[in-house]
Amino acid sequence: MIDTLRRVLQDTLERLSDQLIMYLPGFLAGVTILFVAYWIARATRWLLNRIFKGIAFDRFLRQSGISGLLNYSGRFRATRLVADTAYWGILLLGLLTGFSAFNTQITSRIIESVILLLPRMVIAALIILAGTWLGQFLGRSTLVWAVNEGIPSPRRWAAAVRVILVFIAVVVAADQLNFAKNVFLAAFILLMGGVVLAVSLALGLGSREIVRHYFQEASRSSEDSLERSLRDHL
Amino acid sequence: MLENAMSEEASKAVHSIRQADIVVGIPSYNNVRTIRHVVQAVHAGLVKYFPQFTSVVINSDGGSRDGTREAVLTTRIEDTHLLLLSTPLLPVHRLSVPYDGIPGKGSAFRLVFEAAETLRARACAVVDSDLRSITPEWIELLLRPILHAGYDFVAPYYHRHKYDGTITNSIVYPLTRALYGLQVRQPIGGDFGISPRLVSRYLARKDWETDVARYGIDIWMSTIAMAEGYRVCQSFLGAKLHDAKDPGADLSAMLLQVIGSVFALMQEYEPIWWNRTGSEPVDLFGFRFDVGLDPIKVDIDRMLKPFCRGCQELGEIWALALQPETHAAIVQLGQTAQGRPDQFHLVDDLWVQIIYDFACAYKKRPLERSHILRSLTPLYLARVASFVIETRELFSLTFEDKIEQLCLRYETLKPNLLSGWAGGEKKVPQFERRSEASKLTTVEAPGAELRMEKQHPAATERS
Repeated sequence: MIDTLRRVLQDTLERLSDQLIMYLPGFLAGVTILFVAYWIARATRWLLNRIFKGIAFDRFLRQSGISGLLNYSGRFRATRLVADTAYWGILLLGLLTGFSAFNTQITSRIIESVILLLPRMVIAALIILAGTWLGQFLGRSTLVWAVNEGIPSPRRWAAAVRVILVFIAVVVAADQLNFAKNVFLAAFILLMGGVVLAVSLALGLGSREIVRHYFQEASRSSEDSLERSLRDHL
Repeated sequence: MLENAMSEEASKAVHSIRQADIVVGIPSYNNVRTIRHVVQAVHAGLVKYFPQFTSVVINSDGGSRDGTREAVLTTRIEDTHLLLLSTPLLPVHRLSVPYDGIPGKGSAFRLVFEAAETLRARACAVVDSDLRSITPEWIELLLRPILHAGYDFVAPYYHRHKYDGTITNSIVYPLTRALYGLQVRQPIGGDFGISPRLVSRYLARKDWETDVARYGIDIWMSTIAMAEGYRVCQSFLGAKLHDAKDPGADLSAMLLQVIGSVFALMQEYEPIWWNRTGSEPVDLFGFRFDVGLDPIKVDIDRMLKPFCRGCQELGEIWALALQPETHAAIVQLGQTAQGRPDQFHLVDDLWVQIIYDFACAYKKRPLERSHILRSLTPLYLARVASFVIETRELFSLTFEDKIEQLCLRYETLKPNLLSGWAGGEKKVPQFERRSEASKLTTVEAPGAELRMEKQHPAATERS
């Protein structure tokens, strides 16, 4: 009995030591790669921060109007975004390289799937970025237009435009990633249908007076040219 | 970019004339109601005052569908014997042609200038097609300083109702005067006389397909003439009465084009206006007289409502475009407009600071330029409302004094523009407002201090 127990323990320890011998170099290599990648990522982030500050990248974006379009407050820091993206990109690369040091079937599969997914993820990220950009721009245009035209609740209209455009971008991105695309598509159709129905009901029932008043005002100003307002005079 | 605005039809028509001494352009778009009178006045002016010259009247049309072009070609001068003492020696040609390019007044003018250059004209004039008060004398007053006194640019000087020309009175005239140092009273008047060398200069420019093609053309022409040192004068034309503008015309689009052009030209001519201080009068021709004017109905509530709405909704945009102190003062004013509209008063200093802040924001682009400019509309309406309240009881002459005061504030506060434009530390503005008892009180921002006027970097480099 004791002999059997000893043999089992011995076998277990031998298997463990074999596995250790087999995986330890890979693990150590992986940790070393990750460690090196971490320092490279930090150095790159620092360097990019310095370079972009030197060439006044943020100022360029602010003056070209891109900054204001990407960020609601108009105080977008592109330098930080680029540096952080590079930092996390290098870390991810280090992690994948570290994994590959194990040289097992599972790690190979993980790396393969990540590599296959990466271009799609980049495209999806770009789609969401473009959607956010467009949403920001058109949202602001809607806000200013609605205020100048006297449309009620301008901020809500602007927010609705922003939300719809960002949501469209998310649907397209999900489709690109093959991630729950039916769910997103169904949600999108439901949302758009709901919006159209709500607008129709609002115009048909709730806002009849407002719409009538609006059109009366418009026709009155076009008919009554004698009652000239200051708007006619440059 | 379109190389020129001359359509094939226009080109053939112009080349068939070969040479002319005077070209008068009339831009039009569905102006059949008024254009007959304008053509009659222009034609009569040419045969009466310039019988020794070959002249061409060109109607540059934007695709009218109401018979404007036919009206131009078929209009005859009535009662010639009452107008003319001598028989014209040379003919007055008349053309009505469509222009190519972006639809707008600027593209129409471009065709006229191209025709003037092709025909080697010695003087060119442009007049609006919606004028009801134009007389033959206008043509003499716009052309004679060019032909006989060596001027390059004749700006109009009108007698206008105190509530007419509010963009001119509250922004364009005081701002261009403070910038370029010349007191051209109607820089966006619409009726101008131009010398051939200035015509060539206009045509040589590459910005025809910007806002210049639309409402921006008038200020563009005036600014180039003033900033580039051409000889500028004014002619008193009497009253300016014109057809009511298209009611569908969007005020914020007009502001966008006019003020956008002013700000864009500010960037281009920065080295010229940077060190200019004060302003000087410009020669004025013509006999000045007072005339009765069409009354203008003003609805103050209709102007204050958009302002109150802007205060509630446009905070995020104004916060980016304006200095914090200016924005705070506007928010405070918004409360007054809602609570006591009859007491509403947007003081000159605050208004000047708003315009200077918008100019700086246009340059620095903290957000899209069209958003910046369109968000100015509620503030502009508030300023007009305040001005109407303030000048309700004033006669025209006293009203001109108010305009003069505003211009002087623009000139005095120009250092604020310079510091904001250079992007350095901002001078904290102080705004005076009327208290309930109509006394003057001062809203002072913390840490207010005076700053020295900065030299323009380019000027420093040169020196």
